[in-house]
Amino acid sequence: MRLPHSLQARLGLSLGILLTLLWIAAALVTTVTLRHDMDRVFDSALEETAQRLLPLAVVEIVGREDAGVTQQLGVIRAHDEFFTYIVRDRDGRILLQSHAADLAVFPDYDGPGFRQTATHRLFNDDALQGTIRITVAEPLDHRANVARGILLGLGLPLLIVIPVALLAIMFAVRTGFKSLRRFRNSLDARNAQDLSQVSADDLPSEIGPLAATLNTLLERLREAFEAERSFAANAAHELRTPLAGAIAQAQRLRTETTDAAAATRATEIEETLKRLTRRTERLMQLARAEGGRLHSDHELDLRLAVRIVVEDMQRGEHAPGITLDLPGAPVLSSLDPDALGILCRNLVENAIRHGSDNCPVDVILTPDGELIVANDGPVVPQDHLARLTERFQRGDPWRDGSGLGLFIVAAIAKRTGSVLTLTSPRPGAENGFEARIALPQSAARADAV
Amino acid sequence: MRILLVEDDTVLGAAVRDEIAGAGQSVDWVMRLDAASDALAGAAYDLVLLDLMLPDGRGISFLNGLRARGDVTPVIILTALDQVTDRIEGLNAGADDYLVKPFDLSELTARIGSVARRYTGNPNPIITHGPLEVDLTMRSIRLNGKPVSLTAREWALFEAFLGRPGQLLSKMQLEEKLYAFGAEVESNTIEVHVSHLRKKLGSKIIETERGLGYRLGKP
Repeated sequence: MRLPHSLQARLGLSLGILLTLLWIAAALVTTVTLRHDMDRVFDSALEETAQRLLPLAVVEIVGREDAGVTQQLGVIRAHDEFFTYIVRDRDGRILLQSHAADLAVFPDYDGPGFRQTATHRLFNDDALQGTIRITVAEPLDHRANVARGILLGLGLPLLIVIPVALLAIMFAVRTGFKSLRRFRNSLDARNAQDLSQVSADDLPSEIGPLAATLNTLLERLREAFEAERSFAANAAHELRTPLAGAIAQAQRLRTETTDAAAATRATEIEETLKRLTRRTERLMQLARAEGGRLHSDHELDLRLAVRIVVEDMQRGEHAPGITLDLPGAPVLSSLDPDALGILCRNLVENAIRHGSDNCPVDVILTPDGELIVANDGPVVPQDHLARLTERFQRGDPWRDGSGLGLFIVAAIAKRTGSVLTLTSPRPGAENGFEARIALPQSAARADAV
Repeated sequence: MRILLVEDDTVLGAAVRDEIAGAGQSVDWVMRLDAASDALAGAAYDLVLLDLMLPDGRGISFLNGLRARGDVTPVIILTALDQVTDRIEGLNAGADDYLVKPFDLSELTARIGSVARRYTGNPNPIITHGPLEVDLTMRSIRLNGKPVSLTAREWALFEAFLGRPGQLLSKMQLEEKLYAFGAEVESNTIEVHVSHLRKKLGSKIIETERGLGYRLGKP
């Protein structure tokens, strides 16, 4: 038999079984002891009866005028006889018998003492050198009835008390486990990405250290994410600021110089620096996608992050028209806004890079949390589509791109449990490309839908 | 327009300063937040360009303090922090725009123009003033349909008038908009530029209130 998984059920079950077994064992021991004592009391009564009757029988028989006649004692008042007896002479002739004595019950006399047959307990005794012999019989049924009565007296309460005891055990266990259950429920109700401390105030001392360990672990995880975040911010600052300075200086040089060759060189420097910027940005994003924090403690409206990213890109110099379609109601998710920003930016950049020139990119956020980025452009072959999310895979080797964009998107999707679907041609059209990602929704909303 | 640039990177700061000055605006460049506070206390700025990670503190705290004091000077954040949450934080703190490094200088100029227009109450980049048609984004002017070319200083001066139609601007105010702290300004510079503007755009374009200053002429 397999034990139930719940500690509460296990405790209840084992305590209940143990209690029942103990009770039964105690009842058995009591019965056996009682039976033994009872036998001694009954035997003593049997013996006593014989010894009381024998002198009386002797007096009566010796005083008889005609010997050798059987006398059956009459009934004074109707009653059940537990004890029956017969008095016999040396030849086995019956001299005296009690009124209910059944002769078949009595075996031949073979000396004084206790005897037992299949149905009766007997006691023999004799007097006058063995000439007058008495045998008193007691049916074994009688004893069995008494024993059964005692057993029932012990067993019946068991049938009532054990269920009551089991209920009491269940109640006690449930009460004892209340704080534990509250702890479990509070863990259950938490967002899986929630890194805030769990309350361990009223936990029993057996579980308390567990909650403390959990809290330490959560704290360390949070610190690790914070460290990654702060490193990313510092690295961004340390890398981007000099790049920004160099690019701005190159642009000034291009503006200020009258020498066409110098202007071309300045432009080349600028382009290279911009490419370097994009690469470092991608590597930072990759670090984030693979090891950083992708969920926040609180649920936030996805629309804000999408709008900020898209509006920023709409203002970019070379961006074609980006159309943005957001739902009217907030779309809540625990997805980190920065992670969503990375997703959105990479998908749109990918669409701009690989879409046909001057064709708009459609960015749609559906009310149920799907982010769709679609563009017109050449159809991507099916086998190529599957390889797009691999690292350093370039959709079209002639265009500029570090080949990391969709890989980063796929990495974030995988770690947040989102489903990324790439389709080409875009649904409902003959060409183009669509990326669709089902963003993690708030638990409450998922239940409600 | 007078602009305060708060940026601790000398290479980037110099390029931004030169770009803005080249467009004819006056720019004061400081590298620390305490210096920025002093500058704001000492002069009226039309715009602040604010870096977020400075040697003596976070630009966000500075901006929060600025807005808490009721200072509504437009602020554009120039920062290397590119995350969405950084932007949300910046915009929540009261920034008017947020530009991530590295940026194109032309993009910066466009954003400065757009923020300035938002504050002068005219978000429309094309303004018609009598026979003049002014495109603030493209910095082009047409007089009766014919393009007129202005120097950077003349443009900055004209923009100052356009931003405050009907308002009297003193010579001192105009000098502040054109020149940074400590720059050598010839005593008759404003008069010279005003006379050039009248020559190019028509004599009635700017009215003179003798001894008090100038204002934009009625269309």
